[in-house]
Amino acid sequence: MSLFIQRMFDGLAEGSIYALLALALVVIFRSTGQLNFAQGEIGTLCAFFASTFTLSGLPVWVAILLAMAIGFLIAAFVERVVVRPIEDRNPGAVIVALIGVFLAVNQLSAMFWGVDARSLPSLFPTNADSFFRIGDAAIRWERVGIIGVLAVVVVLLFLLFNRTKIGLAMRAVANNQESSNLVGIRVGNILILGWGLAGAIGALAAVMLAPSAGLTGTLMLGPFLYASVAAVLGGLDSPVGAVVGGLLIGLLKAFLIGYVDFLSDMLFPVMLVVLLSVLLFRPAGLFGTEKVERV
Amino acid sequence: MSDVHHEGDSVTLDDGEVEMATEVVSGKSAGGLPVFTPQHGALHWLGRVLVFALPLAYLLMRVFGVTGIVGGGWSNSGLGLLADAFIIAIAVMGVNLITGYTGQLSIGHSAFFAIGAYTGLVLTQGRVSTPFFGDENVWDPGWTIPVAAALCFLVGCVVGLPALRLKGIYLALTTLVFVEAVRSILKYEKFEDVTGGATGIKGDKYTPPEYVFDFFGIKLPTGLDGRADLNQWMIYLSLALLLFIMLMVSGIMRSRIGRAMVATRDNELAAEVMGVNLSVIKTVAFGLSGAITGIGGALFGLKLGLVDADVPLFGLFGAITLLVAMVVGGAAQNWGPMVGAVFYVFVNEIARSIGEAPADYEAVFTITLIVLVVVVMVVVARYVMQHRNDIRANVSNGAWKAVLVVVGSMSALVAAGVMLLGISDGGKLDGLGGVIFGVLLILFARFVPFGAVGTFRIFRSRFVQIIPKPPSESRAAKAPEGVQVQGR
Repeated sequence: MSLFIQRMFDGLAEGSIYALLALALVVIFRSTGQLNFAQGEIGTLCAFFASTFTLSGLPVWVAILLAMAIGFLIAAFVERVVVRPIEDRNPGAVIVALIGVFLAVNQLSAMFWGVDARSLPSLFPTNADSFFRIGDAAIRWERVGIIGVLAVVVVLLFLLFNRTKIGLAMRAVANNQESSNLVGIRVGNILILGWGLAGAIGALAAVMLAPSAGLTGTLMLGPFLYASVAAVLGGLDSPVGAVVGGLLIGLLKAFLIGYVDFLSDMLFPVMLVVLLSVLLFRPAGLFGTEKVERV
Repeated sequence: MSDVHHEGDSVTLDDGEVEMATEVVSGKSAGGLPVFTPQHGALHWLGRVLVFALPLAYLLMRVFGVTGIVGGGWSNSGLGLLADAFIIAIAVMGVNLITGYTGQLSIGHSAFFAIGAYTGLVLTQGRVSTPFFGDENVWDPGWTIPVAAALCFLVGCVVGLPALRLKGIYLALTTLVFVEAVRSILKYEKFEDVTGGATGIKGDKYTPPEYVFDFFGIKLPTGLDGRADLNQWMIYLSLALLLFIMLMVSGIMRSRIGRAMVATRDNELAAEVMGVNLSVIKTVAFGLSGAITGIGGALFGLKLGLVDADVPLFGLFGAITLLVAMVVGGAAQNWGPMVGAVFYVFVNEIARSIGEAPADYEAVFTITLIVLVVVVMVVVARYVMQHRNDIRANVSNGAWKAVLVVVGSMSALVAAGVMLLGISDGGKLDGLGGVIFGVLLILFARFVPFGAVGTFRIFRSRFVQIIPKPPSESRAAKAPEGVQVQGR
């Protein structure tokens, strides 16, 4: 039982990372209908920046905030310079361009920081004795901290979307760009803001993951795949779905590794099966809206 | 056969799509320019080989230190690169079929490449029992190629069917996960007997046959010296297969299935109304494209003689590589994959040699910084020039915006400079090739949507006059009464 609880917290912490990344994907998908393939890589680049900042003596939380700001700028830049000019002319080519961003950003980090693993200190205590007990199960504070970060982000996003004017404008743009334009919303600025927000969330996910997973250029490749499966599972247009999907995928992964021995090396095939069955049986995902196409 | 045709704002450009509607006349155009007469058939193909493939091959051989064409003086690494280029071109043909012609973006074709390579080596090493074929399970290398194609076709159909029922990003996403899934399966320890697990398969290299064919005593020798001339043989084999596949694809594109594929890409709804079964067409296209890429993979495995799941071309970056080659060469262009693949191999080799050599980093970074400064200055100057009236009159806070743009660009420049000079503590230029290809992908997506070959064709079409067939008399006569046939 104690092992079960421990694994559950492992899964929830891992799932929180996926949920953050999935949230970032969903925020962008809702506003532009694009899946940002470069999301994970932008996060990795920001984590490298954060590691450089901490090396130069800044406190961890300042480094993380700076990294999030850089993530915001990079993603906003990508929207304005790469995505928008193509989207107007050739919507199909946007994914190709985003894959180009993926490759360029990934290799940029290899170019500047090399291929050896870097260290990034954690925001939370990671000593050998920094855990608490539920019954017999030892729960590390780091895991609880990551889950807490997800909770804070979710609350902040909820407040932003539902309690502020900018959030209202963002929802309006997600719903109907042309009408939003007609009522005086500056759609372009809102799109940039949405992408920037997603970039910051992605950077946060990367700096949360880096201390335990080791900071290399491939840091976010796997998590990005898990997160995109999570986003599809939850429904690509549903923030709630992203969080639930991310946590579910994290739990699934932890329990597969823990309890199903013969599948512990076969996580990606399992993810493929999950993805294909979602697409077959419930293409809109658990919380997504069924798409009704008007001809 | 030049065929630029306009649909509203977007322009589609396809091989062999418009011949039915247009007729190319020879002679002199109205402006007095000579007009080419494209012919279809053997001569036409021979012409294309002469025009494109041979000069390209010759250029590459010269660049990579191949001095003679026959006999000695071949640079083995140069030959290997050329063989790689043709093999990758075959794989890119597959991507082109599903992404270029059918319009379904796949970022997972390196999985088929891996499956093909493994199939070739598993069969030639006799790692699975095949009761009716092969000499005690050990297959002749040549016969593994069709098996790889068939296997990839099946896998493609199974994976494609659920994903292709939906549009756009879902297939891209599924194929992305598919690559990693295939790699995990190939590494899986329970299948170690067949796939070799994490260490992969270390086999012998393919030994080129002594005779091209040996038919009832009629023998045509290849003149190759066994395994030493492997690269040379792989060039012949892969170029022959590449040309065959190009011929096949151009045939498919003229067939009912091919037209259905193009129709699916251009307008799914219209295609469905016209009686195209979308999921069948997409699945068949995906399976076929997988099969073609699998052929490339089999050749790759046979040439290399050893495979493991961590070969770069088998993973996510391999898939992106194939996409880069397709986009650079030109989507939906039959000659695009060859041009793109040769370009890729060529540039990749240069970038790799720069990355490996003990480069003068300061010089590299200084040059990069200078380029960045110039780019930023041009951007700022352009912005200011475009909005100079707004700025002067302070319309809609034009002056503030200009200040914002200038300050933003300058801070970006400072950040880039800090990054370039401060962070690179003796790092290698490892990612140079990747950065180049990533930026190329972005630039081509925006500025060169038809790729190198497509752009060349547009350029050429200035000199070739296409005269549309007049609407035929009989069609007008058959129109039901009361319907006005619009005359031109």
